Amino acid sequence: MVKAKEFFLFLMLFILGVFFIYIYFFIKETQEEIFVKMQKNKIEDVSFILKNIEETLVTKNSIFSEEDLVSYLSNKHNRTNYEEMIALFITPNIKYIYLLHKDPENRFRFLLDASKEDKANFYQKFDVFNQEYELVYKTLKPQIIQQQKMQNLYLTYLYPIKSSNEIIGILSVDITSNIQSEILELLKPLETFFVILIIFIFLLMLMTIMQVFHYFITRKKIFTDPLTQVYNRNYLQEITPRLNLNNYSLAMIDLDHFKVINDIYGHKAGDAILAKCSLIMKSSIRDNDILLRYGGEEFMLLLYNRDSKDNLSEIYERIRKNISSHIFTYEKHKIEMQVSIGVHEYPASEKNLNEAIKVADKMLYIAKKEGRNRIIYHKESSKTTEISNSKDIYFVKQAIEEDRVLCYYQPIYECSSGEIFKYEALVRIIDINGQIIAPMQFLPELKHTNIHYKLTKRILSLVFDKFKDSSLRVSINMNFTDLINKDIEASLIDTFSSNPSLASRVTIEVLESDEIQNSALFKEKVKLLHSYGATVSIDDFGSGYSNFKSILDIEANYLKIDGSLVKNIATNEKDFKVVKSIIAFAKESNMIAIAEFVHSSEVYDKLSELGVEYMQGYFIAKPCERLLKRSELFES
Amino acid sequence: MKAFIIILLLSLSSFASDSSLNLQVKILEKIISEISINKEKIIWSDNKEISKAIENHKLLQTTPNCKKATIMILQDKNNLPKECSHCAIFVLDYALLSQVQKSFGAFFWKKGRPNIVILKSRLKSLLIQASSDLDPYLEEKVW
Repeated sequence: MVKAKEFFLFLMLFILGVFFIYIYFFIKETQEEIFVKMQKNKIEDVSFILKNIEETLVTKNSIFSEEDLVSYLSNKHNRTNYEEMIALFITPNIKYIYLLHKDPENRFRFLLDASKEDKANFYQKFDVFNQEYELVYKTLKPQIIQQQKMQNLYLTYLYPIKSSNEIIGILSVDITSNIQSEILELLKPLETFFVILIIFIFLLMLMTIMQVFHYFITRKKIFTDPLTQVYNRNYLQEITPRLNLNNYSLAMIDLDHFKVINDIYGHKAGDAILAKCSLIMKSSIRDNDILLRYGGEEFMLLLYNRDSKDNLSEIYERIRKNISSHIFTYEKHKIEMQVSIGVHEYPASEKNLNEAIKVADKMLYIAKKEGRNRIIYHKESSKTTEISNSKDIYFVKQAIEEDRVLCYYQPIYECSSGEIFKYEALVRIIDINGQIIAPMQFLPELKHTNIHYKLTKRILSLVFDKFKDSSLRVSINMNFTDLINKDIEASLIDTFSSNPSLASRVTIEVLESDEIQNSALFKEKVKLLHSYGATVSIDDFGSGYSNFKSILDIEANYLKIDGSLVKNIATNEKDFKVVKSIIAFAKESNMIAIAEFVHSSEVYDKLSELGVEYMQGYFIAKPCERLLKRSELFES
Repeated sequence: MKAFIIILLLSLSSFASDSSLNLQVKILEKIISEISINKEKIIWSDNKEISKAIENHKLLQTTPNCKKATIMILQDKNNLPKECSHCAIFVLDYALLSQVQKSFGAFFWKKGRPNIVILKSRLKSLLIQASSDLDPYLEEKVW
């Protein structure tokens, strides 16, 4: 939107400019009119004098032809008489009065010259260059010549001397007048003032135009995301006050596993994919739809719903399909990409746009939770059920900002010594009511978001702070994507380099999941941790996509048996067998098996029977904010 | 002839912007270029400003020594050196045409307008040929 202020200013300046131009030309015109009136007045006076001279000369002397006139004035006496008479009319303004005659060779010659200075001889040739001299003969009427500053001459009045309706001579009067130039001089400051004023106004107008032009140039930059060339959040902020949500369906679109692309192929690849995805999205929507980059790999789409011929769900589906069917290439790598879409079909039903975005965002998280590459539409039920127990991303973000993140520590018990082998750090958030919120309520929402990384970093910081000066061991949970995150890696290296003792006491527990697709990269990261003396544990082993060879390749130190297998070991024969196999596999692979979820003495006994050396669970000790001592174990 | 009138008209219209001397010199140069004296035209003038201006224009050759000159531009009769009476003389005042018998023409301002007079009889006696462009300015005698 061009600011109305600039338009108003421009309009005012334009009107002012036009007004002053009008005034300027009005003054000029008035000036001309004054001159014309003065000229007319002067000429009228002169005209009467010349008429009298004509009458005296022609009538009184019975002159009927040019020859008669020349003949009469050839007489020096006659000439002197008339020149003396005419000279009486010479004034400071009437400089020259002379009588000209056109000879047979069409040359003008002086017959009388009453001038007091620069007097011509009788019959001396007079070179004339103005056509008005000839016009006197053609029209038989007086003519006026406006002189161009010629020797102070202002104008020349040519009065025909007629006899029998034929021109026999021209009485020429050269008028010099200082009045006009004096008026001009007087008006000059006023004229200059208006000229300067007009120039000034036009400069201001030019500046305003430039400002508006500059606004249009920068507007595009301000409202466009340079990478994806779609609108950014500045644009959303700009349009929000005028946006009628009744006309739109709102969707939040997120690229699935985008962080992995960034981490594996680098940010350049991520950028290229983001740009291409936005291009595909743009080509999948209509002109009156609004697509903007909401942040990171998240886009916001406002689909115009007043065009009845289009089915909006088809458009959302088209976006999803177009992206998932496209093969993205980056430096010979072929990359597949999918999107999850959360849709709020009636954003106007919310209090404001922000609330509608939150709802669409929640639909998006549901889409993510349900396996990604899908569209979830907002329905009343989903609003009440799906979201009621879960805490959203804003909850975690706020908790981080307000320092309400903390760690609980659950002891891992060493059966042979009866001592606490180490502690597992488990994240908790204190909500605004002071209640402790378990990770299950907020972690799923965070997966692959920046907030997740921020949370991991905060946990690392809390744990390292607690254990840096002690001799106790600690396990910290991480996703594979956390492990390959550059910021987190830098944070680990930084701490481990400065505190090797702490490094040797830290175990990074990485969740065994579908995300460990790039085992080479995983192995590289494990090696890095090993190089600082830290150990690595495969968490929840047995629950995910266990690939024994990959696990062997990774060369982890610990294998943590998934709790869902452990908890039923006393009652479920199959689970018992699986756990037994895992323990055997760990032994063969030089890894130490740790059993979690030891919630009863039966489970504890079974695991002891299987030779599991390290255990954790509610039967041994619940997670606690402080580090429990040996004597506090098995109290429940 | 038309070209000559045009140059005079142009000179006149440019009067406001051009200096009086420059205009005068342009007209003189034009007149002299329109005559032939069967000798190389070398100009000398008692008006040093005109002489300098002609020299600067480089259209006509000038000399500081009137003995070497073939055409003289004379402003004041008293400045006419006796030893240089062999020259064709062009005067800058109508009255000088009568006073200097060897002068063949004059350029002067009359009532604020430039005027040229070339005397036919003197052209003949001085063996000077004038181009037809100068015909409108040819006069039988000095009035």
